[in-house]
Amino acid sequence: MAGQSAATIAKTGNNPFLRAVAGLSTLAGWCAAAMIMAAVAITCQMIVIRFVLNGSTVWQTEAVIYLVISATLIGLPYVQRLRGHVNVDLIPISLPPRARFGLAVLTSLLSISIMAIMLWYGFEYWHFAWDRGWRSDTVWGVRLWIPYLAIPVGFALFLLQLIADFVALLTGADKPFGLDL
Amino acid sequence: MDPLVLGGIVALSTILVLFSGVSVALGLLIVSAGFLMIFDGMRSLELMPEILFGKLDNFALLSIPMFIIMGSSIASTRAGADLYEALERWLTRIPGGLVISNLGACALFAAMSGSSPATCAAIGKMGIPEMRKRGYPEGVAAGSIAAGGTLGILIPPSVTMIVYGIATETSIGRLFLAGVIPGLMLVGLFMAWSLYSTWRSGDTERLGSGSYTWAERFEILPRVVPFLLIILGVLYAMYGGIATPSETAAVGALLCLLIAMVIYKLWNPRDLWVVLRDSTKESVMILFIIAAAGVFSYMLSSLFITQSIAEWIGTLDVNRWVLMGAVNVFLLIAGFFLPPVAVILMAAPILLPIITTAGFDPIWFAVVLTINMEIGLISPPVGLNLYVINGIAPDISLKTILTGSLPFVACMVLAIVLLCLFPGLATWLPNLVMGGAM
Amino acid sequence: NATELRLSHQWSNKDIRHKVAQIVADEVAAADVDLDIKIFGSKSLFKPREQYKPLSRGQLDMTVLPLSYAGGQQPAYNLTLMPGLVKNHDHAARLSNSPFMEALEAKMADDDVMVLVHGYLAGGFAGKDKCITKPSDIEGLQTRAAGKAFEQMLAGAGASIASMASSEIYNAMQTGVLQAANTSSSSFVSYRIYEQVSCYTPAGDVALWFMYQPLLMNKSTFEGLSEAQQNALLAAAEKAEAYYLEEAKKQDAASAKVFADAGVEIAQMSADDFDAWRKLAMETSYKKFVDEVSDGQALLDLALAVE
Ligand code: NA
Ligand code: NA
Repeated sequence: MAGQSAATIAKTGNNPFLRAVAGLSTLAGWCAAAMIMAAVAITCQMIVIRFVLNGSTVWQTEAVIYLVISATLIGLPYVQRLRGHVNVDLIPISLPPRARFGLAVLTSLLSISIMAIMLWYGFEYWHFAWDRGWRSDTVWGVRLWIPYLAIPVGFALFLLQLIADFVALLTGADKPFGLDL
Repeated sequence: MDPLVLGGIVALSTILVLFSGVSVALGLLIVSAGFLMIFDGMRSLELMPEILFGKLDNFALLSIPMFIIMGSSIASTRAGADLYEALERWLTRIPGGLVISNLGACALFAAMSGSSPATCAAIGKMGIPEMRKRGYPEGVAAGSIAAGGTLGILIPPSVTMIVYGIATETSIGRLFLAGVIPGLMLVGLFMAWSLYSTWRSGDTERLGSGSYTWAERFEILPRVVPFLLIILGVLYAMYGGIATPSETAAVGALLCLLIAMVIYKLWNPRDLWVVLRDSTKESVMILFIIAAAGVFSYMLSSLFITQSIAEWIGTLDVNRWVLMGAVNVFLLIAGFFLPPVAVILMAAPILLPIITTAGFDPIWFAVVLTINMEIGLISPPVGLNLYVINGIAPDISLKTILTGSLPFVACMVLAIVLLCLFPGLATWLPNLVMGGAM
Repeated sequence: NATELRLSHQWSNKDIRHKVAQIVADEVAAADVDLDIKIFGSKSLFKPREQYKPLSRGQLDMTVLPLSYAGGQQPAYNLTLMPGLVKNHDHAARLSNSPFMEALEAKMADDDVMVLVHGYLAGGFAGKDKCITKPSDIEGLQTRAAGKAFEQMLAGAGASIASMASSEIYNAMQTGVLQAANTSSSSFVSYRIYEQVSCYTPAGDVALWFMYQPLLMNKSTFEGLSEAQQNALLAAAEKAEAYYLEEAKKQDAASAKVFADAGVEIAQMSADDFDAWRKLAMETSYKKFVDEVSDGQALLDLALAVE
């Protein structure tokens, strides 16, 4: 009926573009999962260093934060592919097929536009940090363009998956809002 | 334009955009971008990615994927079934013992999982078919699990409490403790209702399950030990000076993964990947909503809407309980449509100053808010738990699940009323463990 | 239609730094030059450490900011939170009007940022089980320090550094994850650390921890204002700066009183203790600073030259 459609996944049919994007998104999902696991490992390492060895922990907190942010941004396309981003599809579900198709086109275009804007300014922000040589203000002093790289990369892959979903909608490879009926 | 009028327009546009079926996070970004562009100029639009990144730049958010991994790794084993079977063997003498064991299992599982859908799925997979087999009404079977699952965010650990703690800068350790007694109280209310309705449905004979020998009862106990170890381990790490609450989540995640692998033989990389994939999916979804809601609240603040609403409410001369009632209605309605984290992040900055000026305790309010969000989880149109149940038992109609859940919604409303009458239900335990009120 | 400037900061409206901003806003409003300063306090617009970037890009007009937060953008700013570099509040005021500050302001100008109101605030140490006055006191303790240079110096004294947000200090102290902390007088009070510690070493006749927290403005935005508006801003800033210095001095004693009232032992750092810390800082944080920043030695010399 609505909410997070648990079982469905974006359909690709035999379209090579859709398949390629699906592959990229899946790869991104693996990276995101790996980064989350790395964050778990580093946090546990930090507790051991501090509690068991009474040592200093200066870089772990920051590393974990950047890993979780990167996992989120890089994971976006994969979650889109798995239809994991929740929505309210009360209205789409009650619309007749043609109107539903029209609404799906509209929401797709809106989603694509907002991510294009985010990608544009996100890239600019990343470039600014890179150009100015910004670092984090800690003892570790990470070069900020490294964690910031997740912004343009994640948004670009997400945009790509959104475009692929739009193509799938237009070519009929997938149904509006992934709804059967 | 007057910020209050503008606030109204923003609210209407947000509803319109979210109802179009666009994903919640993107919808929030679209609305934010629109209003920033029109009323704030391009320089605010440029800032959006930076603000989005900044909202995620918080160590406490780490605990969200961690507490989700805890739940989903255990949920992917037969641990849920073990837990539930153990409870059943011991409670079988009581009429309706099965539904009691299910609710108890939900509560125990909630103590290991930070998310409600995970709790619902873990117990429901085993519990719903079993209850139907033994002749429980479908509505009670589905409703009790849907409602029991919502305890995942009230009984600690809780993802929504973490988000609330971050948004309002209240102690997460304190918030977790505040959820314990109200959580147990809700379990009690749920059990009372289930017993009553089972009894009312007649034929209580059939509801008593097979009898077990004492040997059978003791034999199953060791299988509950891993659960208790995890819960005790996490509690010890959190309140015993080993780690901060956010760090503890990582310990819990590692413990659960290890126990799933070692004790429940979850070795196959494919199965492990399923655990990791599901956790990643749910975490990324929640974290992206958090980030987008952060941009949304930047927009509200930048257009001075948040500040004006808080000021306006401050000038209203109403009884504090009328105010609390209005806040609850607002949260309830928001919860019908939006996932808990989105509601908390959008509402907390506006509501908290109002709540504290009216003399309510922010820790207590977190519990009231969470129960409101639990109601949202089992009410249409976005009731995540309803869809989880629908996935587990596709042949029970959504209507039956819904009507079966309704009495449990009434229990939750009753719980809110009780909390208003006796605020100590939420505040006593944190004050006892962590010292005087903050 | 009046020009509107947006000022962002992280503090509550009772905080001295909010009052400094409020004075500037009120004075400018009173000057009647069609200039309106809208204050976004309590991190309602930007997170504390995320204010400098939009400020330098003109997306934010003004902020009250601990300048060392921007040490990642301009490493020279790390000198504004260097252990033992400032001796007391009067010395701090002299530093604000020295060639050292001029050199820093030149760096800010590179980022299109300028100072309207100078000001330093002091801070101290708190220990869960014992007093911390000299370097040997901190050895082996899990410590949360405010600022990179302090972390380096305390590590040099044998402390174990735990990095966490200042909002986590309270709980970490309570459960015993943390045994010592070092931060500003006002943070110690606002996070109610007095409930969790047995001893507090406030800033007194000498203090180790001084942090430069000016009111900054985007330079291009300032230059885009009319002459009358600029003059009104500068006049307001002058008034605010006098208030800032006077109130900063009162903060330390006030925090000591809050801790004493809560039954916490109050310790004093002696001149010898101060020298011992400073010697240690020279070998650790000062040295690292000079290594990391190309013109670091010259800047440090400028700062040390201020009597
Ligand atoms: Na839970
Ligand atoms: Na709902």
